[in-house]
Amino acid sequence: MGSNASIMLQQEDLQNICQQTGFTVKQVQRLYSRFKALDKRDCGYLTREDLQCIPEVNINPLGERLIDVIMDDYGEHNKINFKQFIFLLAKFRQGKIKSLITEYNTRESKLRFLFDMYDRNHDLKIDRSELLDVLKMMVGGNIHDDQIATIADHTIGELDKDGDRSITFEEFCKTLERIDADEKMSMKFLS
Amino acid sequence: MISIAALVLALAAMNCSLGVRSLYVRILGFIFDYATKIKNDKELSNESSDEPSTSTPNSSTSNLVERSSDDPIEMTSDTPLVSGSTKNDETKSNETNETSLETALDVQQKVSRGSSQSDIQFRLGDIMDYTRQGLEAIVDDEVTKRFSSAEEMAVWNLLTRTQQQHEYFSLRITALWFLGFCVRYFILFPFRLCLFILAILWMLCSAVFLKYFPGKNAKLRYGFYINIVLHRILSRVFSAIITYHNTEHRAKSGSICVANHTSPIDVIILSTDNSFSMIGQKHGGFFGMVQRTLSNTANHIWFERSEAKDRHMVAEKMREHIQVKDNLPILIFPEGTCINNTSVMMFKKGCFEITEAPIYPVAIKYDNRFGDAFWNSSKHDLFQYLILMMTSWAIVVDVYYLPPMTIKENENSVDFARRVKAVIAKQGGFVDLEWDGGLKRALPKEDFKQKEQRKFYEMLKTE
Repeated sequence: MGSNASIMLQQEDLQNICQQTGFTVKQVQRLYSRFKALDKRDCGYLTREDLQCIPEVNINPLGERLIDVIMDDYGEHNKINFKQFIFLLAKFRQGKIKSLITEYNTRESKLRFLFDMYDRNHDLKIDRSELLDVLKMMVGGNIHDDQIATIADHTIGELDKDGDRSITFEEFCKTLERIDADEKMSMKFLS
Repeated sequence: MISIAALVLALAAMNCSLGVRSLYVRILGFIFDYATKIKNDKELSNESSDEPSTSTPNSSTSNLVERSSDDPIEMTSDTPLVSGSTKNDETKSNETNETSLETALDVQQKVSRGSSQSDIQFRLGDIMDYTRQGLEAIVDDEVTKRFSSAEEMAVWNLLTRTQQQHEYFSLRITALWFLGFCVRYFILFPFRLCLFILAILWMLCSAVFLKYFPGKNAKLRYGFYINIVLHRILSRVFSAIITYHNTEHRAKSGSICVANHTSPIDVIILSTDNSFSMIGQKHGGFFGMVQRTLSNTANHIWFERSEAKDRHMVAEKMREHIQVKDNLPILIFPEGTCINNTSVMMFKKGCFEITEAPIYPVAIKYDNRFGDAFWNSSKHDLFQYLILMMTSWAIVVDVYYLPPMTIKENENSVDFARRVKAVIAKQGGFVDLEWDGGLKRALPKEDFKQKEQRKFYEMLKTE
């Protein structure tokens, strides 16, 4: 009976989080319930396994890569606590209306997250092997490796403006200019 | 105490009700509304002024995040029977055959074929949809929330177990809660425990009585009534208030009754109105004794652990059972596990393959306000769960009998199962999901990810 007192959300933390992330109190509370529901062992943090258990993430071709990004870039030592969790999610709040934008959910931070999905060695460039990795995850066994290599080379060839055979963040953003990244990468949080 | 217990027993036997429980539930309803009003008032005064009006309560079925509708990852009905690896092997062997027949002309053609395939373009932004869907699933997915008690209710029912965080709202509420606690644990619980013991005694005595009773036919008939009385006593143990709908569709002998599964109490609830043959594995210990005792009152189907894996043997036993004229209808829960009564998950096709018997679907809908009947087996074991049930206010449930269904001409058992599931979902107001209840403990098969990869590949080709 009763909830685990050690990870209950304190009132001041709550206010702090709301102010910084732009979420409403109710949204934070619901996300907190969600966090606790995923934290089956009740230890105050989520691990890779906790996220992999979600069936829709498990069958997502990029599920594992997404979990990698979340755990490595936003958590530490393979754990992510609630604060890190909610600051991560804050990035994906809709940023269309000026009043809803904080430092977290700018268009650039959304694009940066996407860039990080490719760039795992954090050298601020997407090189051929990183692109190949992602392609392989997305198409699985449906395309042969040499075909995949061709596609990757083609993509890099098209986008690489400075000839270093890799795509920098600026080149990345340029190619996504015409796509409404804010719309596509936002989640509508209901309260 | 004994006299009250005897009175309850008599009422159970005759299936009359003094109306005490309905009155009790109505009074409780008033108290809960009062408590929630106090809580809401307090909440409004606590919250900062620049927040939008929060007087609308959280609905337990609303989502955290609005799911995008463009090409979602979904479980479509035709789950592949062949795993993706064999598909790959097939295409690979085809290509090697083709290359072995190559001539110079073919080489030309192959080059041109090769270049048309490399027309597949991949844009860096193509990962956006999957990334966003993955994030949305992390925030709110359709499956994991079915395996724990439904979210915070609009009305608080004075049980701390249903409160996510027990905050100190006001002295009045805490006083009410404490009073409720005393009533539940020190008045209701001992009484219910007595009833439970009485029920076990009844079961044992009647089993002994029937064992030595001459005349097989009379035995089965008496067994029917004894069973019902037993379950009516048991239902009073949990203060169950059951409303039956459409009793003309009650399952008859020689048929299979199918229902959604929320808790072990489902069996008791259904058995207060009709007697069923259970089907399940033979257990040892206390439960095994219960099984053997019950076997005296009716023909149940218990099979050995080793036989359980053999689906054909189980189906055979079921067929044999159906063909005996006076045998009771078989009760089955095709989901295979307990779901939290907000949705219906995939029905396993096993019992739908038995085409000789009509299927009587039943929808069981619990009212969460007075006690959450869902058994979260990873959180509580059976014993803890029963204690929780016996210290809840009451179990209020609606049982909807539905018209019998049989398999159609060109339908296979999977589609039939899905049809029955849809009917139950519609009646009970549940979300109809295709996901397997087995996902409670296991990960999805590799096949599904490979299906998604195939979908992406197809989309790339056509761009």
